[in-house]
Amino acid sequence: MIESPPKEIPSIIVQSKNKLTTPMLKRIFTLFLFAALTKFSTAQFNTLWIPDTLSGTTFNLNLIDTFKQIRSGNQTVTAGVNSDFWGPTLFFNKGDTVHMNVHNYLNDSTTLHWHGMHLPAVMDGGPHQVIPPGTIWQPYWKVANNAATYWYHPHLHEMTQEQMTKGLGGFIIVRDPQEAALALPRTYGVDDIPLMLTSRSYNGSNAFLYTNTSYGDYMLTNGIPSAQVNLPKQMVRLRILNAEMERAYNLGFSDGRTFYVIGNDGGLLNAPVAETRVILAVGERIEILVDLGTNNIGDTVNLNAYNGGFALGFPGGEPAQGGQFGSLLNNKTFTLLHINVTAATANAITALPVALANNTYWTASDATVNKTVTVTGGLPNQPGNPFGFENTHFDFNVINKTVNLNDIEKWTITNSNVFGHAFHIHDVEFKLVSRSTGAVGAYESGWKDVLYLPLGSSATFVAKFDDYSDSIHPFMYHCHFGPHEDGGMMGQFVVKGDNTSGIAEANVGTDFNLYPNPAHNKLFIQFPEENAGVYYVRMSDIAGRSVYMLPQPQLNNGIDIANLPSGIYLVALTDSKFNTITKKFIKD
Amino acid sequence: MTVVLLLFLLCTSAAETEKRIVKDFSLQNVDGKIISTKDYKDAKGFVVIFTCIHCPFAKLYHERLNQLHAKYSKLHIPLLLINSSDTIMFANESLANMAKVAKEMKYSFPYLFDPSQTVAKDFKAEKTPHAFVIWKENKQWIIKYSGAIDDNGAHPELVKSTYIANALDELLAGKPVTVSCGYSIGCAIHYRK
Repeated sequence: MIESPPKEIPSIIVQSKNKLTTPMLKRIFTLFLFAALTKFSTAQFNTLWIPDTLSGTTFNLNLIDTFKQIRSGNQTVTAGVNSDFWGPTLFFNKGDTVHMNVHNYLNDSTTLHWHGMHLPAVMDGGPHQVIPPGTIWQPYWKVANNAATYWYHPHLHEMTQEQMTKGLGGFIIVRDPQEAALALPRTYGVDDIPLMLTSRSYNGSNAFLYTNTSYGDYMLTNGIPSAQVNLPKQMVRLRILNAEMERAYNLGFSDGRTFYVIGNDGGLLNAPVAETRVILAVGERIEILVDLGTNNIGDTVNLNAYNGGFALGFPGGEPAQGGQFGSLLNNKTFTLLHINVTAATANAITALPVALANNTYWTASDATVNKTVTVTGGLPNQPGNPFGFENTHFDFNVINKTVNLNDIEKWTITNSNVFGHAFHIHDVEFKLVSRSTGAVGAYESGWKDVLYLPLGSSATFVAKFDDYSDSIHPFMYHCHFGPHEDGGMMGQFVVKGDNTSGIAEANVGTDFNLYPNPAHNKLFIQFPEENAGVYYVRMSDIAGRSVYMLPQPQLNNGIDIANLPSGIYLVALTDSKFNTITKKFIKD
Repeated sequence: MTVVLLLFLLCTSAAETEKRIVKDFSLQNVDGKIISTKDYKDAKGFVVIFTCIHCPFAKLYHERLNQLHAKYSKLHIPLLLINSSDTIMFANESLANMAKVAKEMKYSFPYLFDPSQTVAKDFKAEKTPHAFVIWKENKQWIIKYSGAIDDNGAHPELVKSTYIANALDELLAGKPVTVSCGYSIGCAIHYRK
């Protein structure tokens, strides 16, 4: 029937045009059909990758260009954090002060945003905190967030989609005493599984596509195509992140089983919420409990996306399979994770907790300030006017909104435009208090930092903007769809207060001393003037190459310069009034 | 029809479809000497490959570069390896470090330093590695191939299409190059603004 074994499709693509004949085209078609049937008739699964973990209070994150064998044939050029795609899961304890050493080894500038973390704006890693190649950025903050699943990802304006597509990002899991006291699955990688859901499209050389494309054609779960995992016959916890560019997932299980939502973006719900389907939009996280205790060992069940049959506006519901808004995964049911049930572990969690938390949520009546955000642009007949807010697009030099420190505000986001969105705000975890489409779902009733905003609806949240004011660095609010935020569907707000990021206004004065000079391991900064302080320290070599970015550095312990090559360096101290003074030192 | 369409897409995506002419160039070699394309009086063409020290995908090709040069320099098509990294941004991409790599990897061909990025801009090189075949026609250098060296970086034993070698064999046989463009795969060359 077939004269020779089927070859890889790419080798057919590069055949000479001159040699193509009608019989040959027929054979190519037959081979293609054979390859396609072979591929889809016998499902092959690959073992789910569980990201490595980092814990403690100092975290070293190296952002690297690299490559990974994702498909057969050539490797895919990727980027990762200490890894060839994605990055380690960072475990924080609430109340700890965490120090990050973010070393940018990439071929381009980037930023790293701590999505969901409540922290000073200058530590937030938004589009303003650009890390040039070769530079170490050292933000730090006291973890104030509740136990929940957060994440980190690049946020460089107009480059977010590209850098996230390449694989930069990772999970953050916060632990706290309240969550630790509950009988919940908590053994990472065994009964407590992080799931990063995304999809990718590839060109003929297996390179990722990231321009003029909103959806991938092939699912990647924790970076693995057709992923499967062995899970014990007991209650298991899935921490699910939608790390897509645009697609939402209508999550459910292949046997229609009930699962239990226990947590939203920013913490546990008051009690588990039973569901069979939950929509998870880009940037959202959800923690669910799935009871595999009633299964037999050897059973299989799939976590699926039931994305077929939605009205226009559901991200990923478009019928097209190709083009900018098309995808092979659009408007259909597809598998996210294949689960094989294995023997229960010792000390398995088998019961569903009745109560989880005792959250005191803000209500609409707590708010003293009301703000509105209206989705505009993005109309098919206005290609020069992409999605935005209030008919404007992101401008580094424009502060769109101002919030007073400690105010409780009510924000209403309205989308009477042409498509669904995922609205995200930095700095706070908010409480959804109303939706125009009906009651706020029980599954989204907890603390959140992203909300799904369906077409033709509005949503209202209440949040308190406490602890950190900063007249210089803004926080962002934006649609979390990569193409939308890169297109300017983003605004910025400053939180105004008496101080900057919780510390007194710093003034560098007129002089400072650097010692010892030459220095070898540590460099100390001393101010001769009383009450002098610094907002930002930047260090560069004599050629102007950036090497260190230290936001609001804690200077008492000195600056660790042990790893710098020998040479002459410049240290620039900037205060919150933008005064900068610079001095040289020699690293020996 | 499908195959022709895919070929077309492959080419337009690589942004290289039209016949392009590049200039002669002179750059400093790792031994300190200036090397010029004009020095090679009997060269029929060159394999010009843009690379860098730090890109993991570029590092996969050291041995294959030596093999290409060993085979084709005898046929009057020498290989010129060029580092056009932004040296302000990447301190390690220095001539001294290039010389170390050339020695360690036993490069049998010139490894040239292009700190002004002039040559990379003339070629419109995008990635490391980005490979070109240029061929002399009417005293001009015409780009006959632009793209990847072959179709498997990490596994030379699984390579199915040796793009550079195929193009050279066809040119030496007086034939048109069947696959004249493809994606260059690797790390982006950062062009200094």
